[in-house]
Parts: sequence; C-alpha cells; structure tokens
Amino acid sequence: MSPGGRAAELSFLRARIARIAADGTLAPRFGGVFPRGQAFGVATILDKILPQGLAAGALHEIVAARPHDAAAATGFTLALAARFLGEAPARSALIWIVEAMAGRETGEPYGPGLRLYGLDPARLVLVHPQTPQETFWAIEEALKCRAAGVVVGEIWRAAKAYDLTASRRLLLAAQKQRRPGLLLAAGLAGHAGELSSGATTRFEVRGALSPHLPSAGARLPLPGLTAFAVRIAKARAGPAFAIPDKDMFWPVLWDPAKASFRDAISLPQPAFSRHRPPVAQDALLAEEALLIRPRIWSAGDDRQGEEHAKARRGRS
Amino acid sequence: MTIAKVKSTQRLVAVDREAAGLGLKAGQTLADARAMYPGLCAEAADPRGEAATLAELADWCRRFTPLAALDAPNGIMLDVTGATHLFGGEEKLVGEIATRLAAQGFWAQAAIAATPEAAWALARFGKTRIAAADLTEAALVRLLGPLPLAALRLDAALLGGLAQAGLRRIDDILLRPRAPLTARFGPHLHARLDALLGRSKTPISPRFEAPAYIVEQRFAEPLMRREPIEASLLALAEDLGKLLTRHGEGARRLEASLFRCDGKVHHIEIGTSRPLRDPALILRLFREKIEAASALNEDDPLERGYGFDVIRLAVLAAEPQDQDQIAWDVAWDAAWDDGFEAADLAKLIDRLGARLGLRRVTRLRAHETHVPEFAVAAIPAAYAPKLPALFVDPPTDGVLPARPLRLLQRPEPIETLAEVPDGPPLQFRWRRVLHHVVAIEGPERIAPEWWREEADFIKSERDAGGKPGSTFPHPALTRDYFRAENAEGQRFWLYREGLFSPQAPRPRWFMHGFFA
Repeated sequence: MSPGGRAAELSFLRARIARIAADGTLAPRFGGVFPRGQAFGVATILDKILPQGLAAGALHEIVAARPHDAAAATGFTLALAARFLGEAPARSALIWIVEAMAGRETGEPYGPGLRLYGLDPARLVLVHPQTPQETFWAIEEALKCRAAGVVVGEIWRAAKAYDLTASRRLLLAAQKQRRPGLLLAAGLAGHAGELSSGATTRFEVRGALSPHLPSAGARLPLPGLTAFAVRIAKARAGPAFAIPDKDMFWPVLWDPAKASFRDAISLPQPAFSRHRPPVAQDALLAEEALLIRPRIWSAGDDRQGEEHAKARRGRS
Repeated sequence: MTIAKVKSTQRLVAVDREAAGLGLKAGQTLADARAMYPGLCAEAADPRGEAATLAELADWCRRFTPLAALDAPNGIMLDVTGATHLFGGEEKLVGEIATRLAAQGFWAQAAIAATPEAAWALARFGKTRIAAADLTEAALVRLLGPLPLAALRLDAALLGGLAQAGLRRIDDILLRPRAPLTARFGPHLHARLDALLGRSKTPISPRFEAPAYIVEQRFAEPLMRREPIEASLLALAEDLGKLLTRHGEGARRLEASLFRCDGKVHHIEIGTSRPLRDPALILRLFREKIEAASALNEDDPLERGYGFDVIRLAVLAAEPQDQDQIAWDVAWDAAWDDGFEAADLAKLIDRLGARLGLRRVTRLRAHETHVPEFAVAAIPAAYAPKLPALFVDPPTDGVLPARPLRLLQRPEPIETLAEVPDGPPLQFRWRRVLHHVVAIEGPERIAPEWWREEADFIKSERDAGGKPGSTFPHPALTRDYFRAENAEGQRFWLYREGLFSPQAPRPRWFMHGFFA
C-alpha cells in the first residue's frame, strides 16, 4: 500500500477510535449530542435553562398552548428537527408521521414551507396512518431504522392512548438507535400540564408576535422573523436538576440564515409611529439592532416604548 | 328453477335436472309450467349473484392453472396446456375437477380438448369427455361428428334455418360442400367449424395475466394453523429466491394465493420499492400484511374456513437485479454506511407500506407550476426511490417565509373586513374566532394558468348560465395571497379569490395555510 494511502487509513482509524471513546459505545456515526451550550443556538436563553442540551437518543414532546397554536408548535418541532439534522449524516431522511385527523384539523405538511428551516423537501418521507395504533407502530418502526435522521410523529386521537407505557416503548426505540424522536401532540393543546409520559423533555409552545418590519407606505407593518414563546415543562437531567421558572414562556426567534434560534426581547405591542426612519433589513437583523431597537420605537412620540426599553436595559 | 320477467310475462330462465326430466324447458311461461305441475317452486333469477358466484369459482379454479377465463353465463374455460401431467393425466384432471365442484354443491361437466370450441362442445353435448391432444383430424371428426349443431354456438335464428334445411348434426355440415352453405347461411357457420377442428386458432382471454414466476405447494391435508402456513410461505419464498437468482431478477410485486378446499381463495399482495429476492424479507412483508388484516378481523384474518390445501407464490412484476456490490476503498466506512442506509430506508418504506398501504407513505416531487396546491406532488415512496432535490439553491429569499408550513386540503371560507377594491384584510373571522390583523405582507397575485384550456363541461355550464349554488366547479379565479399576523402571534396565509369589479360577484376570502 502506498504511504499516502496508509496515512489516510491511519487517520481514519484514529478518528473512529476517538468517536468510540467519546460515545462509549460502538454507535453509528450520528449520535452525539450538540456541542456544549449550542443545542438551540449560541447561548440563547433556552441553552441557559437546559445546560445539558438536547439528547439525540431521546424522546422530546412538543405541545401547543392553545388550539390555534398548532402551527407554531409544528414550526418549533421542525426547527428542532433542522438542528438535529444539521448534525446528522448528509443524506439521512426526515420521517414525518402525520395521523389522519391531525392533517385534517391543522393542515397537511407543505413542502415549500420547509425552506424556512433549510430543509430540502426531497429528504422528507411522509407517512399517513389512520388509526392511533398504526401511528404508534409507525413511529416505533421509523425510530428503529438506521437511515432516519429525525422522526417527527404527530398524534391527535392517539393523545388519549399516550401514556407511560407507550412513551416508554418509543423512548427505548430511540435510545437503541440513538435517533431523536420528536412527538408533536397536536390533539393535546392546552393540556401540557396533565400529560404524564416517559419523555425526556417537554416543551409547550405558543405563537409570539414577531419583530415587525416597517412597510413602505402601507398602513400595517410587515411580519418579521418567526417568533415563538416556549415553556419548558419537563426536562430530565438527573436528580439534582430543576427547571428554573417553570411557568414562564421564553420568547425566541428562529434565524433561517444561521439555522438556529436567537433571543428575542419581548416587546409589548408597539404603538404605531408614523415618524419611523426607514431602516435597511440587514441592519435590523444584526445583533446590535436587537439592542438598539427600543430606540427606534421611541423615535417618534412613543413614550411608552422608551420607558419599556429603559426598564429592560436596566434589567439585563 | 328460476324465473324472470321477460317482456311482461314470467318465464322460466333456468330449470334443474328434475324439472328438465319432467319436460319443463327454459323459455316457457310460468303460467304454463304451473298449469302442468301446480306444486313447483320457483325463485327469482339473480343474474348478478350468479355472475359473482361464477367469478369466484373461476378464481378458485386457478388452482389448476393460472389461466382461467369466464365463459358466461354458466361455464369456465381453463387453459391447461402442458400442465396435465401435474395431476396425473387428463382423465384424472377432469375427474378431480368434477369431484371437487360436486363437493361444493355444483353439478358440473368438464371436458378437455385441443381447442376451446371443441372443449365447449364436448362438455355440453358430448358423451366422451376427453379429446386427446394428439388426435388426427379424422379422429376428431369422428368424435365431434355426432354432436348436434347447437354445439357450434350458433344463434337461434341460424339454427332454425339449418333445421329447416334438414341439417341437424355437425356431420351433415362437414360432408357437404362449403360454397352453397356459405351462400345460404353466411360465413359464420364455417368459421365456427374451422375453429372447432383446430384449423384456426382462437385464444381465450384469461381473467388474470399469467405471472412471470410461480411456485406452489399442494398439501394432502389442509393447513389450518398460522405457523405451518408461514413456514410453507418461507419455503416457497426460498424456492422463488433461487429461481429469481437464476434469471438475475428481483420481485417488485408478489402475490400469495391461498386456495381453500371449499371453493374460496384468499390473496395477499405486497409491493416493494426495490427488487427483492431475500426470503426472510419477503416473509416479513407478508407477515406485516397479515398483521394489518388481523387488526380488522381478529379471529380469522386469513379466512381459513376448513383450511388451505394449495399455497401459491407468484411474482406479478419483476425487475433486473444485480448482486449487491461492496465497495472496498479507503472511505469504505462511508460507502458501506451509505449503501446500507439507503437499503435501510427502502426496507422501512416497504414495511410501512405493507402495513398501512403503499399510498400512505409518500415523498414529494416538485412540479413546474406556480399554483401552490400543485407545486409539490406526493408520490408513493415505493415507486420513487431516487428523487432529485427539490430546491437546488439554499434558501435565498431573505429570512422571511414565502410559503406556509401547513396547507389545508380544502381552503376554508372566512369573513373579512377589508378595503375595496384590493386592500388587505383588517380583521377576519375563522372557525368562529375573530382575529385582528396587526401585521400583513402581500398581496401576492397568483393567477390561474391561462395556457390551460377550460374543460368543456365548465364552459358549457357557464354559457348556459349556471344556477347559483350549483355543484359544478366554477372556473379558477385570480387569487391575491396575504401573510397576516394576528395579535396573538399566529400567522396565516389567506387569499381573496377573484378581482373586484362592478359586474363580477363579490370576491370571497379563504384561509389556505399557516406559518409557524
């Protein structure tokens, strides 16, 4: 064998051994957790609350806060799926299992809408079971498949049958292959508090006002970056861990350019000021803009906005 | 016997053997028959039920040969070319058919001949039932000669004409010169005669195509329990695998036919996304199908009845399949994983499709159209192993979403408050909840594809002035899409259908999709 070839082989074997040492098991390539503190983005508020990040071989539940927030819950789920798929092999598939009732009530998944999360719809495999038993079986089968990058399961009527045993089965399947399972409990809007299951993490999501962008001449502003308000209802990380501020909904924005979350300073509904100076869109999205934005709102006769901004600056 | 109303009188349609022995015939009026024998029992004729029973019987007769055709109204034609030795000879085959059908309660007559017409004639009118395949024409003529002319399947008028001319048997026609008969009775007569004697070939049209590969197993005692049935399916799958390997092909669609001994057949069909010949995987897919069936029918998913005595595995569609290659180079780990991952995904799709139905596992493909509903089409994943990426470029339309994440199958009508003629909505009521709009983007105008012609029925309906509320689809109108955000932070994709004009009716608003 040529010396160049041998060196390449050696480096390959070294990388493999390092991986085995890090994981502790002879697991396939994908299975590591995110780098420390970067599960949701770079040091966002959610990262600070969940320092252990999001585990790959685990079951994460997402529940909507109100029935109309089903789309927001879906968006958050897909954002998490995009984060996981960023760490997965290049051609792994995203398997989305939609129970028939969920598709009828909240709409079917639409391919072009995945573009916001940087996902190519050609990687998507959609499964449409009809009954709750079929849904659970399909989610379990998908979790056992090696080629699946992320499995998103949407349950509606199955929400009644979703208890400790069912969730334990799914959790075991996810742990065995080290695949993340994201369970979107679409039929349980508003009942996140009553759910008891074996999932690792549980999020409750509601829609939040996006940071509005000025529109040229129209009466109403443009909606801006996608915004969510997320409450972490449950996070398993050892006996000594307790979620600070369990009832608080934390606002986050999804930044498609970086495919990560970022913090949002939640503003109350701004009073419309007609004397707003025109600001370029990229300036708005720069990190500093989020801090100087309170000043923009007060650039007219907006006292309330200015006071809010002052209070926030004093707090942070 | 059965009766039916023909031309406003009740007539007899079919009579059984005893009634025929008493002198009753089909076509007689019921009144006459009742006058002769007051105590006869008659049932209403059920042509559809009879056709269904005949179809089921033809299906079951496929245990003898896959090529079975219906011979309405009361016959079945089987093509047993080359298969008679499996049953121990022609006589034994005819005997077996007759006994099995008699065991099911049918009175049947079976005959074998070299042509379908000869078999038809012998079955209905002949005394001997077997016309061996290697008979010379002279011997065939001797066999078929004494049969009456009705054995040629001629219509009643022609038969009447021939009877008037004194021609009653096939012999009479054969011995006479052709030209005068053709001149008087038409060419049909001799065409039938040629077909009967094998001078011209007429194929039968079987109900189902003959499959490419078949393996089957017959049991002396019928199988009832599931384990032996699955074991025999596995053995058959192994044989099939060897057969497929020899021809270098893999199966895409497989059908397992389980023939019951009492006249019913149970079929299980599976489809795969890649050519398959591994027996364990084939059995696994069949098991998933059986599990799905047992969810519907707890006790007897296979409808065993008294047991199966023939099990057949047939390949309905096959594709060339090479031996799996293994790449050996430095990056062997990547190639290994890639190849196996693709195979794993295909196996998952097959399993999900076997249990849920192949149409319920789909992948998306882009279409060249700006109409949002048809921009992506879902195609069954089993038939789409390699799809190109939908979006070649990374998302470059800024950081704001252009299309919603979820799309309602049917847009739901909403009530809005908006400026005319084309202002954005200021508030709207959807599913009985009022939403106030605080931010809006739009309008995005999507017009129907003018290069497509309207369907004729839509055009004619419109020209005739369709009634309001008619169920005909009205022609597609231009849509103005808006992305609206309400005070709660929920974002919707709604549209106004139709442009506002003094002549046109008021445009309607619909909710189509949701953003995250």
